[in-house]
Amino acid sequence: MWELDPSTLITVLTILGSTIGIVLGCIVPAIMEGIAVQKALDGITRQPDAANDLRTTLLISMALLESTAIYALLVILVILFANPVLDRFF
Amino acid sequence: MDAITPQIIFYLYGLPITNTVVSTWVMMFLIIALAILIKFMKPSYGEWLIEFINNIIGSVMPADKDPKDFLVVLGTLAIFLLFANIFSIIPMMVSPTANINTTIALAVIVFFAVHIYGIREKGLWGYIKDFASPIFILPLEIVSQFSRTLSLAVRLFGNILSTDLIVAIVFILVPFIIPLPLAALGMLTGVLQAYIFLVLASLYIASGVEIQEREKERKRLKKEGAKS
Repeated sequence: MWELDPSTLITVLTILGSTIGIVLGCIVPAIMEGIAVQKALDGITRQPDAANDLRTTLLISMALLESTAIYALLVILVILFANPVLDRFF
Repeated sequence: MDAITPQIIFYLYGLPITNTVVSTWVMMFLIIALAILIKFMKPSYGEWLIEFINNIIGSVMPADKDPKDFLVVLGTLAIFLLFANIFSIIPMMVSPTANINTTIALAVIVFFAVHIYGIREKGLWGYIKDFASPIFILPLEIVSQFSRTLSLAVRLFGNILSTDLIVAIVFILVPFIIPLPLAALGMLTGVLQAYIFLVLASLYIASGVEIQEREKERKRLKKEGAKS
């Protein structure tokens, strides 16, 4: 393990870290989106008249929630494809 | 690195021209040709489109505002984004919004449109007074203006780039039927993101235009309360 040269070690650590990061960054927004959909469906079954309003609000809030997962994905893409540490020091 | 940054195709008077800029030009000609075609062949389609965008804007704006005032900026943004987000299904082309410079430019347009519409609605001094109406809110308000612009840009960029990238990765693994559903999902996401961008931009413009009304309402209520 310790005979690895530093750039390989950093690449391995980057891959490990980004895997853990994307898993966490996908799980949390997915759970929250599930809760949002559940509440919206509850509302629609209780009041079918309000379905149109609820659908618009649901779409907007889903996109806002989804964007947090996208932020995690972007950071991880930068780490994987344009790693600043590797570019600067090696 | 090549996957997430646009590639430079040629230099025009020393300016680097990337592939997203070239596909934006192609898309501009496509939109102009389509607009001319609709204008001379079926004007009712154009009317229907304007009505559709008007309805979306009107559902977010305060009730006494005419959505036609904002149609110039928001309708243009909506049509541009609708084409730009699904443009990568054409071979040899990339989505213009898969480059972060495009989305930042669009978000900056929205940023300035909020203040310009606000100043046009209430005058410069009235707008500044509304903007800092409880004075201790002012720093938070300034921070939120910038962070919402940033999130508007990064959300669009991330969504379009990630769907394009997923299609590309699956295409490397299995170059046959399998990438098709993912490309369809990317188109769905693109149309949804254009809608979201339109709704959020009109929401921000509405918040710039609207505060005065609430203030006026409060003053009226206070006056009525004093009378009775």
